[in-house]
Amino acid sequence: MPSVLSTSISGMIAFQRALETTGHNIANVHTPGYSRQVTEFSAREGQGVRNGYIGAGVQISSIKRAYDQILGNQLQTSTTSHARFDSLNELSSRLDSLVANPETGLNAQLQSFFNSVQDIANNPASLPTRQALLGEADSLVSRFAEMDRQIDDLDSEINLRISAAVSDINQLATAIADLNDKISLGRAATGAPPNDLLDQRDLLVRDLARLVPVDTVEQSDGKLNVFIGSGQSLVVGIESRALTTQGSEFDPSRLEVAYQNVSGNSVLDNRLSGGMLGGMLEFRNEMLDPTRQALGRTARAVAQSFNEQQAAGMDLNGNLGSAFFGIDDPAITYSNRNSGSGTAGASVSNLGAVTGGDYLLSYDGAAYSLSRADNGATVAMTGSGTAGDPFIADGISIVTAGAPDAGDRIKISPVSGGSGSISRTLSDAQGIAMAAPTRTLAANSNIGDAAISPSEIVDRNDSDLLTSAVIQFTGPGTYSINGAGSFAYTSGEAITVNGSEFSISGTPQTGDQFTLEANYGAPGDNRNGLKLANVQSVGVLDGGSTSINASYGQVVGSVGSATRQAQVNFEAQSVVLANAEGAQLAKSGVNLDEEAANLVKYQQAYQAVAQVVSVANTMFDTLINATRR
Amino acid sequence: MRISTGSSFQRGVSMMQQLQQALDRTQQQISSGRRILTPSDDPIASARTVELRETLSRLEQFERNGEIARNRLSFEETALVSVNDTLQRVRELSILANNDTQSPESRRLIAGELRERVDQLVQIANQRDGGGRYLFSGNRDGTAPVTTSGGAFSYNGDQGQRLIQIAEDRQIPDSDSGANVFFHIKDGNGTFSSSAAAGNAGTGILTAGSVTDSSQYDRDSYTVSFTASNSYDVIDSTGSIISSSAFTPGDTVAFRGIEFAISGEPAGGDEFNIEPSRNRDMFSGILDLATALEKPVTDDKSRAALHNDVNNALQNIDQAIGKVLDVRTQVGTRLNAIENQAENNASFELTLQTTLAGIEDLDYAEALSLLSQQASTLEAAQATFARTQGLSLFNYL
Repeated sequence: MPSVLSTSISGMIAFQRALETTGHNIANVHTPGYSRQVTEFSAREGQGVRNGYIGAGVQISSIKRAYDQILGNQLQTSTTSHARFDSLNELSSRLDSLVANPETGLNAQLQSFFNSVQDIANNPASLPTRQALLGEADSLVSRFAEMDRQIDDLDSEINLRISAAVSDINQLATAIADLNDKISLGRAATGAPPNDLLDQRDLLVRDLARLVPVDTVEQSDGKLNVFIGSGQSLVVGIESRALTTQGSEFDPSRLEVAYQNVSGNSVLDNRLSGGMLGGMLEFRNEMLDPTRQALGRTARAVAQSFNEQQAAGMDLNGNLGSAFFGIDDPAITYSNRNSGSGTAGASVSNLGAVTGGDYLLSYDGAAYSLSRADNGATVAMTGSGTAGDPFIADGISIVTAGAPDAGDRIKISPVSGGSGSISRTLSDAQGIAMAAPTRTLAANSNIGDAAISPSEIVDRNDSDLLTSAVIQFTGPGTYSINGAGSFAYTSGEAITVNGSEFSISGTPQTGDQFTLEANYGAPGDNRNGLKLANVQSVGVLDGGSTSINASYGQVVGSVGSATRQAQVNFEAQSVVLANAEGAQLAKSGVNLDEEAANLVKYQQAYQAVAQVVSVANTMFDTLINATRR
Repeated sequence: MRISTGSSFQRGVSMMQQLQQALDRTQQQISSGRRILTPSDDPIASARTVELRETLSRLEQFERNGEIARNRLSFEETALVSVNDTLQRVRELSILANNDTQSPESRRLIAGELRERVDQLVQIANQRDGGGRYLFSGNRDGTAPVTTSGGAFSYNGDQGQRLIQIAEDRQIPDSDSGANVFFHIKDGNGTFSSSAAAGNAGTGILTAGSVTDSSQYDRDSYTVSFTASNSYDVIDSTGSIISSSAFTPGDTVAFRGIEFAISGEPAGGDEFNIEPSRNRDMFSGILDLATALEKPVTDDKSRAALHNDVNNALQNIDQAIGKVLDVRTQVGTRLNAIENQAENNASFELTLQTTLAGIEDLDYAEALSLLSQQASTLEAAQATFARTQGLSLFNYL
């Protein structure tokens, strides 16, 4: 009889616990990371009597959380991928709208600058038209500067985000280590899994996986070890390690993620290939830097090729054109590990050969060698690095000085700063060199019907460029230049004198004279102006195959397609993540209907065992009453 | 499969969000009329639109350029028409003056008008375009091209010709230099000129010559020297006689691939000079004629001299008229070319705009049907969400 009582009481206790667990599940229906808990019952060991075992009631064998480690791992991996493409997508679409937006992009401004050059070519003497070009140039330059500034803003924002992410990682690592401690203590105390602590820890690991890719290994005592990068331990047992940020080798303002070793910091950047942090680093290396370089290359192409054509012309004051645009020389930065005093200076000597990437100049103790900064490929250099005989590679001239130590490295960025440093240096609208420096004329006294073509400048550096020359026909088939020599005449053949080229065609007569002279006082000449206007569509980059327009088109195209790719990947990963979340929630999530049913089930069971107590009570009363008299 | 309450709620919400995003996008497309809202929507198409816009902008610039060239050339043509009219008048006057019935008085009047006509020509040559730049100074268009000093005319421009870009690969001159139009005009018949020596005693009158065999003509200077009234020698510039011949009035003199006739009666010792044509300006020949008309005509000898002078002047005037016609033809050709190019540009522009619209513009029918489809999907999702979220076993406990 006492066993009836104790059996039913065991049931009451068990169902009360089960109802409590159901209540807990219902209360946590919307708690992130919560896994529904399931009460598992087992029958208590029976009491052996002569004719068999009498059951002793029920006991709760465990309260388990509905959790599948494999689904959990899948969720963690897809969270990492999703976060990577999320940040990549977000950042790249901002860059995309910067470079390709018709309002903020460069195209419209480039076009109106060169249209303005055409306007002057139509009316070279008009000062208001010339003034308008200076205005257009200012707009173009500020467009370049604005884009550079926005790219810099993105860059500093990434620095901030990296710092924030690293401090989040460190906090999460500490919290995981704390939970490890509590979980192992809890398990040791009760022998049962502390479900809610496990849920909390899984949630923290998932938060961590959103930032960086992580690997986890669970110890037998329930502690979880967390590794990041290429196996660097972030949490081991109840200890956590801190990550830190530091300035990069060549640029103190560019933050890198570093792991603190006993021997010093080691940079993790290349080993973080996922998560939000990985996505940001990927964006910085593979989109932001190349875009800055490509934009800088376009700026340099505009400045250098326009200046070159300007120098080949004559302005309204009768001077050869002076520089229209200014642009900084390639940026030189030194490794913070350099111990020697080696320095370098660089300039762009051949625009057509400039690739746009950065280079590393390394000293091995005996000689310098050059390699590409992005992929490490060696680049052949000619020359010896002195001012008289500079190193020349990919269109860049490098002059070195000082005493470098072996292992010292110098970074050369030929075009990166172009977009931010291009400026207008010509201040006087009269200084726009629309005219050609020389002109040709046929003498009035000529008898023959030969005509002379306008002159073309073939060597603007010729010291006699502005010196007059007279072509005098000494016979119908021969001519002298400035009274000297006797050259055979062929109609239409190019004649080059004093850096100018022209041709005479037709039938000249003995004594006929043609003159080449400096083109002073010809405000209506637009020969150089037409060439200036054409600078935009002439191939000046990539060995003459890419024009300024096309080079900017390349920027737009590559940013656009990279953004598109990030977007597509992001959408795909969102689906993968939703599936993983769905699968995990299907296993672990709380279903209120199910809990309601459980509530009814356990309540009924509780009422039933309570009824058993009442029966036991009646039995006891019956017994007492039977023995009273 | 188990459905967790939280996730079914979450899924319902995120589905509705996605539908709202799609709806919002379609709505944006419809209100902007553009299929591509951001470049990454279609990177290839947006790179293409960037190129198309550039080409369009350049085309518009070329159209502006063509307009400017057309303007200048119209100015030039108007000026050339005036030059031609004036020269025609000068020609009429010369023919009039050549008539023996003219009195000294009427010749003086003709001379007076000729001088006025020269002033008029100089004025036309110094005309400016709409922008105040001289039409005929070449590239020195800030300088008046023609100045007169003591009856001599000088050209102050240069021989440059400005080109205007009217298409990607096409440049067209928007002017002609005054050197070409007014100063480089060959005298005589364009190959050689002939004149009677000043001291001729006879009444020989030269008539216009021509080239019969240009391969024989060597551009040397020759003198037809009459040894008697019925015979002459042809002497070259070195003084050697290259031919001798008998002469009767009206005979054609022919040597070295050229020929001309001499009428009237030259006297022994009279000389006629043949020179290769040289460049002359348009103005001084007319002034010379005026001067010749003002000389007294007293006898047959001076009458013959006047006829020779007028004949010479007529030849020069014809050369000038020919030159102006030549330049006008060129200007007309250029205007034509600009016209054609403008048409080409316009049709190319239309093609580009059609292409651009095809890439960028929205197909409204498609978008609107998409919009109503998306809207009804969203409505359905909202209705089912409200319905399913209302289902709970707790409602019945």
